[in-house]
Amino acid sequence: MKFLVITKGGPGRPATKKTVSGQILRVGRNASCEIHLPDPRIALEQGMIMFRDGLVYVEGEIGTNTLSTTRKKVRSVRLSPGEPIDVGPYRLEGAPAPPGYDGAVQIELLRPAGVAADLASRTSQRTLASLGLPKRWAAWAMAIGVAVVFLAIPAGRVLDLPWKDVAQTSGVGDRFWNPGPLILAHQPIESRCAACHEVAFEHVKDGACLECHKAIGHHVAAEMKPASLFEGARCTSCHREHKGTKTTHRDDDAFCVACHRDIRARFQPAASMNVSDFAKDHPAFRLTLVDESGPKRVRQGAGPIVEKSSLAFPHATHLDPRGIRSPLDGRAKLECKSCHQPDASRRMFEPMSMTKHCQGCHNLQFEPAVTTREVPHGKPADAVTVIEEFYANLALKGVPDSFQKAFGVPGEGLLRRVGEPSTAERQAALALADRKAKKVTQELFEVRVCKTCHDVGVAPEWKIAPIGVNHRWMPRAQFDHRMHAQTACADCHDVAKSKRSADVAMPTITACRECHGGSKPAEKKITSNCLLCHGFHDAESPWDPNFKPKGSARAAGSR
Amino acid sequence: MRHYSILEYAKFRWFKAAVLLSTIAAALYLWHEPPIKPYGGTWLGYALGTTGALLILWLLWYGIRKRSYKSTTGTVQGWLSAHVYLGAALVVIVTLHTGFELGWNVHTLAYVLMLLVVASGFYGVFFYLRVPGAMTQNLGEDTLDSMLLRLADLDRDVREKALSLPDDLFALVDRSVAGTRLGGSIVRLVSGRDPACPTAAAIDAWATIGAKLKGEPAKLGKDVYSLLLEKHELLQRARRDLRHKALLDLWLYVHVPLAFALLAALVAHVVAVFIYW
Repeated sequence: MKFLVITKGGPGRPATKKTVSGQILRVGRNASCEIHLPDPRIALEQGMIMFRDGLVYVEGEIGTNTLSTTRKKVRSVRLSPGEPIDVGPYRLEGAPAPPGYDGAVQIELLRPAGVAADLASRTSQRTLASLGLPKRWAAWAMAIGVAVVFLAIPAGRVLDLPWKDVAQTSGVGDRFWNPGPLILAHQPIESRCAACHEVAFEHVKDGACLECHKAIGHHVAAEMKPASLFEGARCTSCHREHKGTKTTHRDDDAFCVACHRDIRARFQPAASMNVSDFAKDHPAFRLTLVDESGPKRVRQGAGPIVEKSSLAFPHATHLDPRGIRSPLDGRAKLECKSCHQPDASRRMFEPMSMTKHCQGCHNLQFEPAVTTREVPHGKPADAVTVIEEFYANLALKGVPDSFQKAFGVPGEGLLRRVGEPSTAERQAALALADRKAKKVTQELFEVRVCKTCHDVGVAPEWKIAPIGVNHRWMPRAQFDHRMHAQTACADCHDVAKSKRSADVAMPTITACRECHGGSKPAEKKITSNCLLCHGFHDAESPWDPNFKPKGSARAAGSR
Repeated sequence: MRHYSILEYAKFRWFKAAVLLSTIAAALYLWHEPPIKPYGGTWLGYALGTTGALLILWLLWYGIRKRSYKSTTGTVQGWLSAHVYLGAALVVIVTLHTGFELGWNVHTLAYVLMLLVVASGFYGVFFYLRVPGAMTQNLGEDTLDSMLLRLADLDRDVREKALSLPDDLFALVDRSVAGTRLGGSIVRLVSGRDPACPTAAAIDAWATIGAKLKGEPAKLGKDVYSLLLEKHELLQRARRDLRHKALLDLWLYVHVPLAFALLAALVAHVVAVFIYW
């Protein structure tokens, strides 16, 4: 079928005519539509015109595009001349069919596209950009703000910039550069970065540490030339600050093992043995034994180690589970702590003392039948004097009962007898006292009392062998008994069967390894690195003997 | 042709690169046994820090690359894909660089800014994947301009028709015609609503006032009411479109300024660390 589409022109412009053909004429802004209405207010396919004994306009019915969002009415209208219909801004009207055509449609754009100025102004700010929101200048402002507060001002002091005073007074100085808390001991200088960070872009120097830590020892004695042995190492090689309030030093074994794995390659005359890990590669312990010639370090396992204390002390007897005969309360049951008492630090023990630990049972009475007096413990001559004086006094002033008990003969003190004593009587009394004193002294030293524990020399005078009881067996180890308090003493010190004081009951490395592993974590073991037991700094070898502190100016100086 | 999003670009090439980079960093971190504890100053710390800093500079460069229309170094699509994935990997690398040591200082400031920039970037990716589909669906065959043209037509129609209505009803229509806004404030743009919309107010009021009409004016009132409904529906769609566009823009107002602040904080962090070596 053939139709004529007449599109009216604007004012003063002629109408255009177009011939289209088809069963159905599509109406829309799509250029392929037979009736093309080029206006954005019209849908792509707005509707259609069909021939049903005349033209009929159909819109919004089934068959038209249901996805279209452009508003359509649901209508079906006959297009007759003189009865125009509105389709969006257009007016459609049927026209008489010219000869040769089946129908004609007249189209007129009633309302040209346009938005009134006031509506346009009320809808002009459609994007965030149109609101003038800051993006670029906000970016610059934030960047500059951060750079000023966190870089330029803090750098004022250390770089000696013109605003360095601001940096120190404003409170936004280099405190914001502090990457983490210092150890507790360093907190008084935490806000004075310059105390350690003296020069910009340079590492912290050892001198800054030595200002306070003047007495810190080096690892080895001066004759081993530590400066060349440890060339390149600085305090901060091990001690890293700003890592929390607990500790500054590294505690991995790598630093120690780097040298001690093969210590003689590093330092030929070294006396220590190679070590790389406590669990797998650590030599036996060395015990420090002291004798007349001074301290000696003896390695365990190389042969029997005996202590020459010159005391007789059988631990087995004293720790007899049935108790030990005691002059005080029958059988006394002793424990380790009866004698070994912790010192004030509770890390180690008080030294043994005759007065405190032995004399309660081992009293030094010499004439118990008459007196509870004891000889003084210490010099033999003092004991002899006390005994001589006692019997001399008894011979002079003794009452008959004591006299008889002490001397074994009836009588009383010389001065108690009636009348002036004769010379013979005086000499007899003196001889009696003297004889008795000698007998008692000899018995005391050689048989009954001193001999119980001591080596006693008899000629020409009584002499007690010097005592050599070891007190600190491992003076270099940082062993803390308090930390091991939950372990029974006997777990490490097995003395229950020891009958001689020469026995040494110090634990071997095997005993320690029952609980302590190496530097790598292992099941049911305490991870134990070198520094758990050993120290690095030797207090007897100063770090830098030539170091001169800069004086108080620095410590109290400006931030 | 199937559409490939930037996330799928080149068969997830940059996703794989980011996973590889993060895995290497994490494996090194687990393997590494630092002398005291992990932090930015060990060799691995410096390595991760350098990688992170270079990545940040490269990610910032995207702002320049996307405007270099003549550049043939890859496609902008590829750059954006890499920007997104390597930006995500940056979080892993920089977090490991910190060794989980955080405090009130410039170093943590840089870290937090980095996290915020990446988080805002993720937000942007989310919108770029979600919004365009919703936008197309909302617009249909229309454009914002065509909707405005139709709004203008509706205004003219409705005012003409309402002239014969009683004063109170005409006033409602007049306020709708003279006072309806689109956009104009950040809240209205982003929410896609205008609580003070006079058209919505007119529709609300119509239910009570319009019911009083009798006879011929009632028919006219019904016509005007349906025009107002049509206008309101158009307005809702237009506002939703503005909201969509605003959502696509909004995150950039956070992402870009924070990225510049991050650059400054990064410089401050690096300089501070090396001043106090």
